[in-house]
Amino acid sequence: MPIMRRVSLAALLTLLVLSPADGSAQEDARDIISAAVEHWRGTSSRGVFTMTIHRPDWERAMSMRSWTRGEKDSLVRVTEPQRDAGNATLTIDNNMWSFSPKVNRVIKMPSSMMNQSWMGSDFSNNDVTRGDDIIDEYEHTLLETVQQNGHEVYVIESIPREDAAVVWGREVLRIRDDNIVLEHSFYDQDNTLVKSLLSLEIDERGGRTVATRQRMAKTETQDEWTEIYVEEMEFDIELRDSLFTLSNLRNPRE
Amino acid sequence: MSITLRLAWRNIWRQPRRTWLTTGAMVFSNILLVFLISIQLGSYRMMIDNTLAPLTGHLQVQYEGYKDDQQIRQVVPAIRGFAADIRRGLGLTSVAARGAAFALVSSEDRTYGVQVIGVEPEFEPLVSTLPGLVKEGRYLDDAAAPEVVIGTVLAGNLKVQLGDELTLLGSGRDGSFAAAIVSIVGIFDSGMVALDRSFAEMPLEFFQDTFAMEGAGHNVVINAPDLFAVTTVQQQAQALLPEAQDLIVYHWDDLLPGLQQAIQADLASAWFMYGVLVILVAFSVLNTQLMSVLERTREFGIVMSLGLTPGRLGWLVILETTMLGLLGLGLGIFLGGLVTAWFAVNGFTYPGLDEMAVQFNLPDRIFPDLNAISLLVGPVIVFVASLVAAVYPAARLHWLQPVQAMRVA
Repeated sequence: MPIMRRVSLAALLTLLVLSPADGSAQEDARDIISAAVEHWRGTSSRGVFTMTIHRPDWERAMSMRSWTRGEKDSLVRVTEPQRDAGNATLTIDNNMWSFSPKVNRVIKMPSSMMNQSWMGSDFSNNDVTRGDDIIDEYEHTLLETVQQNGHEVYVIESIPREDAAVVWGREVLRIRDDNIVLEHSFYDQDNTLVKSLLSLEIDERGGRTVATRQRMAKTETQDEWTEIYVEEMEFDIELRDSLFTLSNLRNPRE
Repeated sequence: MSITLRLAWRNIWRQPRRTWLTTGAMVFSNILLVFLISIQLGSYRMMIDNTLAPLTGHLQVQYEGYKDDQQIRQVVPAIRGFAADIRRGLGLTSVAARGAAFALVSSEDRTYGVQVIGVEPEFEPLVSTLPGLVKEGRYLDDAAAPEVVIGTVLAGNLKVQLGDELTLLGSGRDGSFAAAIVSIVGIFDSGMVALDRSFAEMPLEFFQDTFAMEGAGHNVVINAPDLFAVTTVQQQAQALLPEAQDLIVYHWDDLLPGLQQAIQADLASAWFMYGVLVILVAFSVLNTQLMSVLERTREFGIVMSLGLTPGRLGWLVILETTMLGLLGLGLGIFLGGLVTAWFAVNGFTYPGLDEMAVQFNLPDRIFPDLNAISLLVGPVIVFVASLVAAVYPAARLHWLQPVQAMRVA
């Protein structure tokens, strides 16, 4: 009996000692991710980038301009190649609209299509719209902290909450101590790695150090990938409210 | 007529009631087998026909692997000319070129993802029943017009009617943005929800323009004159393919592997049931023959002591069973054929069949397939099983001791 009591007391003590630590670790992990999202998007941003879609027998590059505001609103407009110029997508909250100048129509992306490819790339519509959902709709755990090229890198596992409308079983992020996401891996419900987003180049843009070249590739088909190269980026700028509207999507004023 | 034959004939009519009862069991199971096997073959044929008819067709020429990956870049180049070559080479008109792409289709206030298929309006009705299933409006008739036909369910989902405009948005062959505005000229109702909900057909040339196909398409559908000719036509078509283009003629079995599997699974469970039926009949024959041998023990003892060999006696028993079996076979085939023939003309149905049939793309009335196979397979198996059942009673005679046998009361 005395032994039993001692054991349970020890267990209780362990619990008491551990749980706050565990809780704060979760808080830390959440803060790290939230800071990384904030770092990448700023309160607002304007950018010019190139998207390269690579297939074994074929490759295609598109130039685009982008505007973001807060964590929910974004507008992306294709500028090159000529025959695709003017195609655009607008996201507000988790809704997405596409505009095609060829038919001069705006189409709202149905929710059933959100896992489909965005503009023919390896990014899904969800990847593009769900910018910050990961912060609140997931439980985050700091798995480990490693040293890499003079930086600390946090490895964080994010598991979607029960009610999150997400197809992934879990996501693993490697975030450098200067808020740069080095790697973002997506695992399905069976815990198989499906695809990952890798930061290949890190550089200065608009006064911030950001990942300038990122590659999304499915695990099964490594010779099929999409790269995004950030050419220019400005942060925390004034953007007109009218920028993120359907009428601006249809008739661009900038 | 030899003496053994005459003897066997007389022997089986020594107990007419018993003979008729045993024959009756055979006839009954034969009628059942003929009918059920005919129904089964008939429903399989209909299942295959009805599943392939709206879209898949008997054969499809595709870029190797397209059936699995469905990538817009896996094309058959210059597809209309190619289809014309196949048509000429095979001497068949039922050959049609198609292109296929995934696109968002949107009306005023709704958007759905659908499979858009570019078809040759001139040839499509020869390989597909879909053009004939257009309930409202008409099928496509112009090879290059910005027109579309969609299913009833999709029309309902999009809340559109004949004459309304739809916007298409997708990716072209070169990865560029594909977009078009098309007007609905027809609405089809195939009764198959999957088809009525997620397919749209437009003229091939317009499809090629919209999706930057540069004259290419994705498959050439070939319909053979009937199901039995499919493999032959497949070989002929394979020989017509140009070399070094990685094109393959796929059999419907490759395109819809689930169909053949469903049929095989159903066949396996059916054969189990038939097996039980046949074994029951065989035991009934065994019972009859064993009884008739046992009751004649004394008689057999006498003829054996007079010099008849057990071999000839055994032969006699086998002959009796053969006669019994032939009687069952003849009557079974005749009556079974008669019953089945009536249903082959009038169709067979029972309450609730229509609900089940929809799942397998079947009509609410099944027409049995009466042919040599469905007519003979069951009865012949019953016949053979009866003969096997007679082996034991016949073999017993070899151990018969004439003296002991004669003393049996």
